[in-house]
Amino acid sequence: MAALSQLVDDVVVSTFELTGPRIEIGRRAGCDLRIDEISVSGQHATIEVENNAYLDGAVDYFITDNDSTNGTFINDVRMTGRQRLNSHDRVRIGWNLFRFIDEDENSLEKTAYILEE
Amino acid sequence: MTLTAAGLCDIGTKRDSNQDTIAWAVSDDGQRALSVVADGMGGYEGGEIASQLASDTVMEALTPLLASGAQDTATLQDRIQDAITLANKRIHTVRSDHPKLSKMGTTLVLAWVQNNQACIAHLGDSRCYLLSGKTLTQLTRDDTVAQNMVDDGSITLEEVPRVPFRNVLTRALGSSDDARASFGHTNLAPGDRLILCSDGLTGAVTDADWPDIMAPAPSLEDQARRLVDISLDHQAADNVSVVLVQSI
Repeated sequence: MAALSQLVDDVVVSTFELTGPRIEIGRRAGCDLRIDEISVSGQHATIEVENNAYLDGAVDYFITDNDSTNGTFINDVRMTGRQRLNSHDRVRIGWNLFRFIDEDENSLEKTAYILEE
Repeated sequence: MTLTAAGLCDIGTKRDSNQDTIAWAVSDDGQRALSVVADGMGGYEGGEIASQLASDTVMEALTPLLASGAQDTATLQDRIQDAITLANKRIHTVRSDHPKLSKMGTTLVLAWVQNNQACIAHLGDSRCYLLSGKTLTQLTRDDTVAQNMVDDGSITLEEVPRVPFRNVLTRALGSSDDARASFGHTNLAPGDRLILCSDGLTGAVTDADWPDIMAPAPSLEDQARRLVDISLDHQAADNVSVVLVQSI
């Protein structure tokens, strides 16, 4: 299970679990993750949850910025297009900072291995 | 045209075993060359055994062909594939006989050069590049989950080092009964070099920097040494292997 944890002064103030297939993020009422703050656009960004096509059991989380006014930043870089989130990425929605955590990533081996057929 | 080859293999700065194996041979008349890099995996002992077994087997099977050369491309590919299939069988036999080695496997990249042409076979993420002047071209495509995702547009090449499954191979020797290699071909002009390497090098030094790193070194041995030394300076996390083949 993955989550976005909102950080204020590097302290987690809230955590939102990302249950798919789509999570709408924005200021508008009805967004799955609603951030009622002036720098956030109505429908600011979308996270899509997809099973990895090549690795059984692995889940990918892709974020797309919906042409928001103040942008979506991944690790301080303003994103364009659609981008895969990796655990511990810092996700900034307007002026609001989150950390993306995917606990399942830790179960993947760090050394090389082969998909057995 | 005369061929010359050199190679170097180093344990790197973080690992406590060297699971890479390299090998090369040039025919007595310098007209044909065979070179191999294998990067083993699957436990402390298993990776070493798998890469050595793969390298030894393909060298044993193909070195006799260096004297005469292959009649044509189709025959050459068949001989190379037969050698790889034999290596795969041997790895499987050891896996079956020794439970502690049941997960071992290895990548393999192999280059055969004759008549100004190179035939490259590979499985896994060990690579072959062509260096022509200062232009470096990657000739192999990584058999990895991450590469599949780059190809389908899910991620960019720049994101590969950050994805959690960057080390997951989709093909390698030892993973299935069918070790069918991917084949590629390229022409070699005088001065051109083939660079065979394990991911210890590609992970530590950006390939775009290689031509400048190699340029000051007069000999192939020195060029290989410079690539390995700089990867160690960059704290190469994996074993680092390089084999160079040059047409002069």
